[in-house]
Amino acid sequence: MKQRTTYIVCNPDEFNPDKLHVFDDSFSLVSVDAAKEHRLTFSLSELPQELYRVLRQCHELHIRWASEQPYSTIPPFVSHISPGLHAFFTPQKDRSPELLCPSLKKIFGDNLECESPKETFVNMPILSERFSSSSTSQYYQLLPSLDDLVTYIQQSLCPKSNSKCQQQASTLGSATYVDFDYDTISHALILNAFWAREPSEGSWTESISLQKEGDTIEVGVLTSEKAVDKEDLAFSGFLTVVGEDSKPSTSNHSCWTAFLLTDSPLAEPTRFQFPSRHHPLPQSTSSTPLIYTTSFKQPTGLHPSLALTFPASSLTPPDETCALHTYLTLPSFLFIDKYQLSDPLFLASLNLVFLRSISGATDLEAPDWVISQWGSAALLELAIPPQHNGTPQSGDWEVSIPLHLRYLPPNHNKSGLESSTAPWPVVFWACRAEEGSKMAVNPFDRVNLGYDGLFGPKTMFYHVPPTDVGGLVERIEVPVLDLDRAGYVEWGTVVAVVLGVAWVCWRLGVVVWRDYKEGATGVEKEAKKKQ
Amino acid sequence: MVQFFSSVGTVFSAAIALRVVLLIYGSFQDAFSPMKYTDIDYFVFTDAARFISRGRSPYARDTYRYTPLLAWFIYPTTWQGSWFLFGKILFALGDIAAGWLILLILRSSGKMPLDRALKFASIWLLNPMVAQISTRGSSEGLLGVIVSALLWSVLAGRMGLAGCLLGFAVHFKIYPFIYATSIIWWLDDEHCPPKSDKNFRRPKTIYEQVVSFTNPSRVTIAVFSLLTFTILNGAMYYAYGWPFLQHSYFHHLTRIDHRHNFSPYNTLLYLNSSPTGNASIKLESWAFVPQLFLSTVAIPLALAKKDLPSTMLAQTFAFVTFNKVCTSQYFLWYIMFLPFYLPTSTLLQKPATGIVAGVLWVFWLHQGYRLEFLGISSFVPGLWASSVFFFLVNIWILGIIITDLGRTSKSQTKLAGNKKNI
Repeated sequence: MKQRTTYIVCNPDEFNPDKLHVFDDSFSLVSVDAAKEHRLTFSLSELPQELYRVLRQCHELHIRWASEQPYSTIPPFVSHISPGLHAFFTPQKDRSPELLCPSLKKIFGDNLECESPKETFVNMPILSERFSSSSTSQYYQLLPSLDDLVTYIQQSLCPKSNSKCQQQASTLGSATYVDFDYDTISHALILNAFWAREPSEGSWTESISLQKEGDTIEVGVLTSEKAVDKEDLAFSGFLTVVGEDSKPSTSNHSCWTAFLLTDSPLAEPTRFQFPSRHHPLPQSTSSTPLIYTTSFKQPTGLHPSLALTFPASSLTPPDETCALHTYLTLPSFLFIDKYQLSDPLFLASLNLVFLRSISGATDLEAPDWVISQWGSAALLELAIPPQHNGTPQSGDWEVSIPLHLRYLPPNHNKSGLESSTAPWPVVFWACRAEEGSKMAVNPFDRVNLGYDGLFGPKTMFYHVPPTDVGGLVERIEVPVLDLDRAGYVEWGTVVAVVLGVAWVCWRLGVVVWRDYKEGATGVEKEAKKKQ
Repeated sequence: MVQFFSSVGTVFSAAIALRVVLLIYGSFQDAFSPMKYTDIDYFVFTDAARFISRGRSPYARDTYRYTPLLAWFIYPTTWQGSWFLFGKILFALGDIAAGWLILLILRSSGKMPLDRALKFASIWLLNPMVAQISTRGSSEGLLGVIVSALLWSVLAGRMGLAGCLLGFAVHFKIYPFIYATSIIWWLDDEHCPPKSDKNFRRPKTIYEQVVSFTNPSRVTIAVFSLLTFTILNGAMYYAYGWPFLQHSYFHHLTRIDHRHNFSPYNTLLYLNSSPTGNASIKLESWAFVPQLFLSTVAIPLALAKKDLPSTMLAQTFAFVTFNKVCTSQYFLWYIMFLPFYLPTSTLLQKPATGIVAGVLWVFWLHQGYRLEFLGISSFVPGLWASSVFFFLVNIWILGIIITDLGRTSKSQTKLAGNKKNI
């Protein structure tokens, strides 16, 4: 197992190197206000049999979980995904991945709706052949907390006696986001947990120590700097590898190697930069920072409209190659009608440009209970206010995304309304980058987020943060049949239909009877005539 | 006003002008407003035609549930520019042609004076709802011309043509199969008398009855309709395979997309098809029993020999009223028969019935609006009750139609029918 811990100090002015202490087998810091990333790399042989068997069925598996609480981002941890549990998966050839869904349920909670990748997952659209490297299928479900994951690790993975393992596992419960990555080429499972801030006190006071002889832990305490090249991110700070001798190692298992320039890790601060896929918004000239708010327009009806609201004055692209996008992950009860979103006039009236991609459960008629897939994912390009030189727009800029509700099952005791939740989408500027391949050099690079695979490799993302008021989940009341008041529907319908049939038959009977009588008298008359 | 209806030219010019104005208005609204005049179905047809033009199946378009022929008919819409209107013009021309056939039938079978016939044909020709539906691009207008041509050819004694049209109509939209029984029943020896009256005698034995029942007209129409239906379906299946059968036919049997509609079964279907609603019996699978019994057996047997066009109205009315799915466009199916029935109807003397139906229709629309747009759970009692009341009022109207038809003496249509054969 390899470990890497990175702290990005929030306010460099308040930071003092005296708060850090390096020992032979540990590293400690005292009240450092910082974002923290903890990365653990397991080789397959270190994993329990149960997980090993699941991973052997995967060619590629990337799990992403994000909290429903908004958080302030700091480079390099600026990428966003919709809150909830995402999985991106490519099965191993010639192997049926029947273990994946049961394992996901066991690890993340029994209430995950996951039958099998074939039934529940949706195929990722392939917009560019060059992206054969991205996963082939996608899964998503809202998941407010990782409590089940913590319990699973504590009970199934940690040795009973190891209280440190138990305690470390519990810290995952407060993470802002957690990523798991596995692929057959690296043969390693990487767990990456991120905390935007220390969850209880607001600053980190902790000690990182080696578990056993021969282990190493890489530690970095960095502050974000202004990069020379706009495609780069730059950092300065302190890098060290606990458990190795004080000289920087040349062995390539250390991510830091490339950046460790000084002889003594903590003696001199180091400065480095690298091209990055994900960027924060550039410092804006306008007074209001660019953020977005998501809401359902009221009344929602059966065709709710999802509104994204921005301060119009700050909607200026970071670069002329940039276009504003939103990426939606919609649970199956909501869907987009792609045909409705094909008319340019209609799109323009909603401040949309076009629907770049849609995949998953897009049936326009099916009720929710016949949909086996988790839902659908869509990428939309958004219009921005016309850019006039020098005259900033005032007020809000609202983009509306027309959605439709599926029929949900009738319910009891809720007066005919079913409360459902949908995650906020993510919003970003996608811009052309000069350097594509070098982005993978970034030790903090984050891919397989759903939308990144829908763009070419030479793309940078400038992420628009959501407003930090409330949660990143929208509630919507879906009207359904109220079973408490529907007792008479069955017999009432039968009575109405039977009455209807009886009445029509009665009228027909009267006609036939009269005809018969007339016919009889007619025949009699004819007979009398002949006589 | 009297003068207006005295000339075929003015009425048809007005009908054409109405459609031209709507087409032009529609093009403008489509071009300048995000709210489209063009019906969503028309985009389905034109998308399907585009798939065909690229050598693909029309069923590559979601919700295309029609015969591939429809997409072929409007193939020119795949050419750029104003050709997009081609399908709408075709449907509107279909409307006009249907109106012409209605006029022909009223003049010949109904033996109406021209101005009176034009007035009743105008129920179809100058009906804004009819003109709107076809110019918005719904294919129901095309069905109007097929069915009116079927009726015209039957009344004119052209059984081969009638058979082809019946086979084509059923291939196109399934439901016209209900007309088969009434046409067959109507085609007795009175309506197509045997060549020599001298040898005529009433059939006595069952064998004789069967032989006399299978008269040449009946055999011709049966053979031609089955042949047309089989050839068309065979060709379409050969070209488009299983998706053709699935989307054109089986979908209608297995559909559960019961978004609320006017059908009395609608709430029950929602309840019974969902996992939480425990159905005591699968009532919805029995729904076709009263529907088919009334529209294909009881009504034709009791009424067809009296007045074929009005019987077809009653059949269509029963079929739509008892259908599991019932939307506004289905009403067009029976509007085309109204010109034949209304001249002798007592319904015109009872405007209250029409008003009650209209009020309930609006009440239903209001409940639907509350659900669709305001998100109010109006399934029960609102939507359910209004669709049941709507159903009951329709039943009442159907009863009046049947009673009116019952008063018609057989001789009336017999005379008309005989006239055809002269």
